[in-house]
Amino acid sequence: MRRWTRVLRTPLGLTATVLTLGVVMLAVLGPILWTDEANAVDTGNILAGPSADHWAGTDNLGRDILYRTLVATRLSVELALAATAIAVVVGLVLGTAAFLLGRRLGRLVSAVINIAVAFPGILLALFFAVVFGVGATGAVLAIGLAGAPAFGRLVQTLVAGVAARDYVSAARVAGVGRTRILLRHVLPNISEPLVVNATIGAGGALLSFAGLSFLGLGVQQPKYDWGRLLFDGIGSIYVNAAAALAPGAAVLVAGLAFNLFGESVAKALGVGVVAGIRVPDTRRPVAADDAPVGADLGDHDADVVLDVRDLEVTFPAPGGPLRAVRGISFTVGRGEAVGIVGESGSGKSLTALAVSRLVDEDGSVTASRLELLGKDLRGPDNATQRRMLGTSLAMVFQDPMTSFNPTKRVGRQLAEVGTTHLGMSRGQAMERAVERLDAVRIADAADRVHRYPHEFSGGMRQRAMIGMGLMGTPALIVADEPTTALDVTVQQQVLDLLAAIRAADDVALVLISHDVTVVGEVCDRVLVMYAGRIVEELPATELATGARHPYTRALVAAVPDMATDLDAPLATIPGRPVDPADVPPGCAYAARCPLADARCRTDDPPLVATTSGRVACWHAGEPLPDPVLRADSARFETLVETS
Amino acid sequence: MNRPTELRFQDVTVCYGRTTAVDGVSLTVPAGQVVGLVGESGSGKSTLARAAVGLAPLAGGAITLGGAPVPTRGRNRPLQMVFQDPYSSLDPRMTIGESVAEAMPPGASRAERRAEVARLLELVHLDPTHARVLPGRLSGGQRQRVALARALAGRPAVVIADEITSALDVSIQGAVLNLVRELQRELGLSILFISHNLAVVRYVATHVAVMRGGRIVEEGPTDRVLADPGHDYTRELLAAVPGRNTP
Repeated sequence: MRRWTRVLRTPLGLTATVLTLGVVMLAVLGPILWTDEANAVDTGNILAGPSADHWAGTDNLGRDILYRTLVATRLSVELALAATAIAVVVGLVLGTAAFLLGRRLGRLVSAVINIAVAFPGILLALFFAVVFGVGATGAVLAIGLAGAPAFGRLVQTLVAGVAARDYVSAARVAGVGRTRILLRHVLPNISEPLVVNATIGAGGALLSFAGLSFLGLGVQQPKYDWGRLLFDGIGSIYVNAAAALAPGAAVLVAGLAFNLFGESVAKALGVGVVAGIRVPDTRRPVAADDAPVGADLGDHDADVVLDVRDLEVTFPAPGGPLRAVRGISFTVGRGEAVGIVGESGSGKSLTALAVSRLVDEDGSVTASRLELLGKDLRGPDNATQRRMLGTSLAMVFQDPMTSFNPTKRVGRQLAEVGTTHLGMSRGQAMERAVERLDAVRIADAADRVHRYPHEFSGGMRQRAMIGMGLMGTPALIVADEPTTALDVTVQQQVLDLLAAIRAADDVALVLISHDVTVVGEVCDRVLVMYAGRIVEELPATELATGARHPYTRALVAAVPDMATDLDAPLATIPGRPVDPADVPPGCAYAARCPLADARCRTDDPPLVATTSGRVACWHAGEPLPDPVLRADSARFETLVETS
Repeated sequence: MNRPTELRFQDVTVCYGRTTAVDGVSLTVPAGQVVGLVGESGSGKSTLARAAVGLAPLAGGAITLGGAPVPTRGRNRPLQMVFQDPYSSLDPRMTIGESVAEAMPPGASRAERRAEVARLLELVHLDPTHARVLPGRLSGGQRQRVALARALAGRPAVVIADEITSALDVSIQGAVLNLVRELQRELGLSILFISHNLAVVRYVATHVAVMRGGRIVEEGPTDRVLADPGHDYTRELLAAVPGRNTP
């Protein structure tokens, strides 16, 4: 329901709602209030122009046109709604038939819809108007049936989308019949777009009616709708222009009202589920109070590729700003591989996005230092900086399917980097693309550059993505879950490739993953993130044995490997990650931690240096109670209230 | 609960258009056992699962349950399936309780259904009061437990688990795997456990079959196959398990 009220929050939505309500009110009240005035014949005042008595003049019997226009609202709206209802019902039957009838018959119905959609609507309407005879009934049937194929097509597409979802498969596996699945699972999940489109359709039907009546095929005397009034008024347009303009304006306003209302509902529903008031764009990473913006900080260490201090990423939320990354500091040295691990929502991906300046525009990024190769990344987003990022930073995303433009050949997408950032000619850039694809071990690269992304396998696409990052001479590769969407064998190839590139060109790597084993295998150093903070930093070799934070130890223990004890249950972490909107005081991990005491729940442990890294825990390194972190310690998972 | 039953694929072939996704596969899930099915995406392992529950048409061969064909019509469904993505396998507009109750055999009264939903939720270690909430309020791991409860609601003899942990955080994966093992032992289910992660399969399955290009290339007891793989592809899979070098 909250999503529907969002319609009213935009000026356009509010206007459209008020207009629509106005039209509906007029349709209800108009005939009750003004029927007598509209039918009053004034023979002494025939075809008069606008006057104080008759604001829009009179018709050929001296009847007041303004009143007639107001009274005609009901019939016009009724006819439009009736036609829309026919279009919706017939469309629903046609559109769901394919789902209900099964494969073969469904195909036949689809073909019928496709042919019907291809016919121009007005032609269909004229055809039906002739078949059903001239008059209101004929017009309603004509416009309703003419609108049905388009609606049927919409329903069919929406149904097909929902029918492919796993919950429909699950219901089928459970033996639920098709009709029941349609009523229980499919229709409720497509109702919103249908309602929206029906509203827009009503606006269209209103206009079509005006058109049909205007052609003399619609409502016949003595009844009258707007189209009829328009038809009558147009004959005397040189005597009294208002006679045609008044019903014309009514059609315009009502049609606009329905269309805009539908559009704004669609817009409001389409925004997604995270409600929130947009704040001004603060995408530009801004400096914390004590640091000058854009200045070279001077004390840059030549061996540090990435230097991050006090990085914060916040998003506006209804209950106050949401701190997704809460002040983290780390550096990445030349040629070093640093892993960032954590559960979903720990802020690890946002850290990567903040470094590459890709945080969504409503998020705000602040840091007291954010430097790549000694260049401040917090400055304004200009060409120099884009070039710097484009050539010295490579980004690899999780889903290789969505990170390429599907309509452009892979080679061209790689070459683009060369032409925009490196000043290469198209020929040079293409040569470089072939060479880079070859470097990421894509066989037959000279041929592959001319292929489209869908012609690549998942692993190959991911390698091509890395190849794109290597078009420049990157000093840093940021890889966000680069292997999560890939098979284990392909995952290994991609990880090997990253390691090889690192060794060959002394490129630094930031590898983000939820899988501790992947990070442990590739990286030198590991940062463990929890609830937007770094809770531990340690050498990768110490992950298995030397981790001191209970969270790190739990993450390591939770992953089965080829040596896991088959007789013991796997270690698990009870509870669920902290909601960034509601971070408790004290240590964020306390609620799930077997070592937590009263102090952990009140005082947030600082990140302090250890012999080999950093750790933020009051009980760092203390032995864990046995049995470690068993799921049974919390028999039921508690449901965390999400506001 | 139905009695433990054997699920047998005999020379099963499934085609999508001209592509042969599953090419003459024969595989047996013995009564009360867990058989792991591993392979890369596109190897046909999910298609095999969908064919078993009637979501993909057979082009050849037969799938039998305790010697009889798998029923794919009517409400009695002794073969149930748990899907990979817990975010798409629960209807966002139905409460947890409704989703679970839907899969129950018909005929029970409202009160009986409610009690059964509560029992099933407890079985998968979820608070029975969750029956009244929508899936949007649950985490991925909790949703996957609901999906398990729904599969069990049909009183199945055999359950097919299709990559049920690969969409989950590793921290939650462990809890779901523990649950699968526990349910299997308590209920004596036969399970076909599909995964691309050998370490996971090793943990839950006694037998393993390796699939590639629509065919089964190796099959046998898990410890034997993992210790002494007979096919190059199995060796390749083993070599790719992350963290194999770290103790």
